[in-house]
Formats: sequence, structure tokens, C-alpha cells
Amino acid sequence: MRVRRLPLILSGLVAAGLAVSGCVAPGTPGAAQTAAAADDFNDPYEDTNRGIFNFNQAVDEDVLVPVAKTYRTVVPPPMQQSLHDFLQNLDGPIIFANDLLQGEVGLAGNTLARLLVNTTIGVGGMFDVAKLMGIPYHTNDLGITFAVWGFRAGPYVVVPVLGPSNPRDLVGQVGDGFGDPGNYVASTLHHYLWAVVARTAVAGIDERSRNIETLADIERTALDNYATIRSLSRQRREAQIRHEQSNLPNPAPVQ
Amino acid sequence: MIRIGAALGALLVIVLALAAPREADAQDARAFVATLGQEAIQVLGPGVPVAQRQARFRELFRDDFDLAGIGQFVLGRYWRVATPQEQQDFLGLFQEYLVRAYSARLGEYGGEPFRVTGVRPNGDESIVNSEIIRPNSSPIAVDWYLIGRGPYKITDVYVGGVSMKVTQRDEFASVIQRNGGRVEALITQLRQKLGVAG
Repeated sequence: MRVRRLPLILSGLVAAGLAVSGCVAPGTPGAAQTAAAADDFNDPYEDTNRGIFNFNQAVDEDVLVPVAKTYRTVVPPPMQQSLHDFLQNLDGPIIFANDLLQGEVGLAGNTLARLLVNTTIGVGGMFDVAKLMGIPYHTNDLGITFAVWGFRAGPYVVVPVLGPSNPRDLVGQVGDGFGDPGNYVASTLHHYLWAVVARTAVAGIDERSRNIETLADIERTALDNYATIRSLSRQRREAQIRHEQSNLPNPAPVQ
Repeated sequence: MIRIGAALGALLVIVLALAAPREADAQDARAFVATLGQEAIQVLGPGVPVAQRQARFRELFRDDFDLAGIGQFVLGRYWRVATPQEQQDFLGLFQEYLVRAYSARLGEYGGEPFRVTGVRPNGDESIVNSEIIRPNSSPIAVDWYLIGRGPYKITDVYVGGVSMKVTQRDEFASVIQRNGGRVEALITQLRQKLGVAG
């Protein structure tokens, strides 16, 4: 019962969030009379964001990186690859749905073909056979769909643990979570929320283990790591919205 | 009739004359990036000592990048605010910052296969598309923006859809803004980061 009520509450949140992010349109003079920094970087809550960013860096250093490093040393590389492919395949239905919502028929075809091939020949998604057949992976999500539909991102927000985001993408993530059949399948075995948390955690470790060196190199060489990550994540997201394949490492540890 | 034929012939000659060097340019631009990318990736490869890697990157930025133009873009509206001395100091430090930062940041792509995939004109510039192929991940698209012909100069590099020039501008603008709009503060921080005496 609790499981069924939760989506309802959250879909209310989704609607509210969309209303908010829709309102944060530029070109409403007077509303955007903020400091130069907020104008340039769309970051009106910069002080708070920097605080959360520092917290996230500490969590990253103390928890995520050690876990990711252990994962990389303990788990044999072929198994890491299989887990990565499996997680990617699990995202297939949501990617497919968003391809369709955006009217990207070609991309939708690719995703469907990948899903069919990898789930069957690829043994439940553990092997990316479709890639070998020349059907490349692409990402998609509800945040991108909202952007394609013309919703604005809203202000830059750093979310505890999850990292750089904005209202549009946060609402999208919640929507994707509830639309994802994989989560419902998992919820027959365990509590819904635990299934989602476990999947996010495993995906986070997978993602982080692939980016340890890159992010460390950026942090070490940057004058202002916060500003660099803010710029990288915004541009990376814009490239995804244009459907250019952006395979840069994700500056957000978990998302 | 003959006159029309002659006119058409002349037109054809003109069109060909105009088109031929363009085609040659495109080929040159491809070759330029292919050579440069190959070298950069080789020098990034595992087992190349840091000093050697940085020395090669220093040469590469000096010879093949439009450093003055990039530096000016990266300072943005603060370029005009800066004194000539500050501009000069900044350009010098910026080059060294690029060498240190990018020889480290691009390290993970070292030794991976690299290939040029296309070229297209973009106003005065040419954009050369390339990709780095990684065994266990999707390839990374690297787009090179070139000006000039003959000696090309790189004005920007997009890695995975992300402009290196814009990233740098955003970072430096943030540093300047958080220090009361003083370009001098950025120069001081660059000096500290690079361990260079003022």
C-alpha cells in the first residue's frame, strides 16, 4: 500500500517542480536582477551550492573513491565490464521511452534493437553484443525530454551526494525512476525504495570507478574546482540535449 | 551558341579554380589534425616521463594553437579591463597553465587509437572531427576548430561536446568575480598554482 502511494506523492512533486522550472525563464526583466555571478553561471545559490559541493567532495574522497578503488582491484575487469553492460541494458526501456517522447524514431529503433539483442543473445544484458553488431549505445532521460520540449533548466543546484543538477533534471530523475519497469520487477523481491537505492549505489560505484583518475586530475590542476565542474556538467548536459554523444566522464559521482 | 558554351566553360573553370583549393584545404586540415592528434596521444602514452610530456605540450601549444586569441576569449569581458601589463602577464601564465592542466587531464587517453572522421567549414574556420577509440567504452568525439590555411592555428577543442575554451573562461571568470572583479587576483592565483615568482 505504501509502495503505491509513494508514486502519487512524487508525481505531485514532479508537477510542482515542472511548474517551478518553467517559471524560471530568462527574459523576465526584474525577476533576474541578481549579482553578475548568478547571471553568468545561472547559480543564484552559489554559497549554499559550494557548501554542498565541499561536503560531496569529502564524501567522495572518504567513501566513494575508496569503494570504487576496492571494486576495481577486487572485481576482475571482465566482470566489471559485464556489470556495466548489464546496468546499461537495464536503462534500455527508459531510454527507449524518452527517445519516443522526443520523436527520435531512429534513436528509438537503435535502443529497441539493442535491448532485444542484448537481453537475449547478450544473456540478460551482461554482454553488449549490439555494440559489436554496430548499434552504439546512447543515453537518454526525462530531463533531456523536458529540455527538448522547451522547459528551462532552472538554477544550478548541487544535490548532496548526487552532485550537479537543476530542477528540470531532478524532476526528470524522479519521473524516470517511477517509469522504469526494472524498478518494479526488483520491488517484487524487495521493498521498492531499497531496490532503487541499491541500483543507484551500484551504478554510482560503476560510474565512479571509471572516472577516478580524470576527476582527480581536474581537481589537482584547477584553480577553482567548483567552477570547473559547474561548467563541465552544464556543457556536457547541453551536448546530451543536442544528442551529440558526450562520453566525457560524468562530473557527478552518482547520477 | 558558341558564346554561351564559352561562357559556361569559363564559369566552369572559375568554379573549379575556386573549389579546388577548398577541397585541398579540407584535406590539409584533416592531415594537420591527424598528425597533431597522433603526436599528442603518443606523448600522453604510458611510460612517457612528465617532464617530456609537458615539454612536448608546451611546443604544441606554442606552434599550433592561437594562444593570443584563446587567452583573450578566456578572459572575456575582463580582457578590456586588464592593463597591457596584466594582459601580457596573463598570456604567459595561461600558456603554462594549459600545459600543466591538459597534459595531466588528457592523460587517460594516452596511447588509444585516434582517427579523423570528417571536416566541415564553419565561417572562417574549419571544424575537424575526430574520435578516440577506447576498448571498453564508447569512443570520445574530439572536434578541432582551426583558423588560417597553410599554417593552421587551433582556436578551440571540443571533447565529448564540451568546449575547453568555454570551460576555461567560466573557471577564470569565477575566480575574478570572487575576488572583486580584479584580474590581478587571477594572475596571483595562477602564479601560486604554477609556483612561478611574481
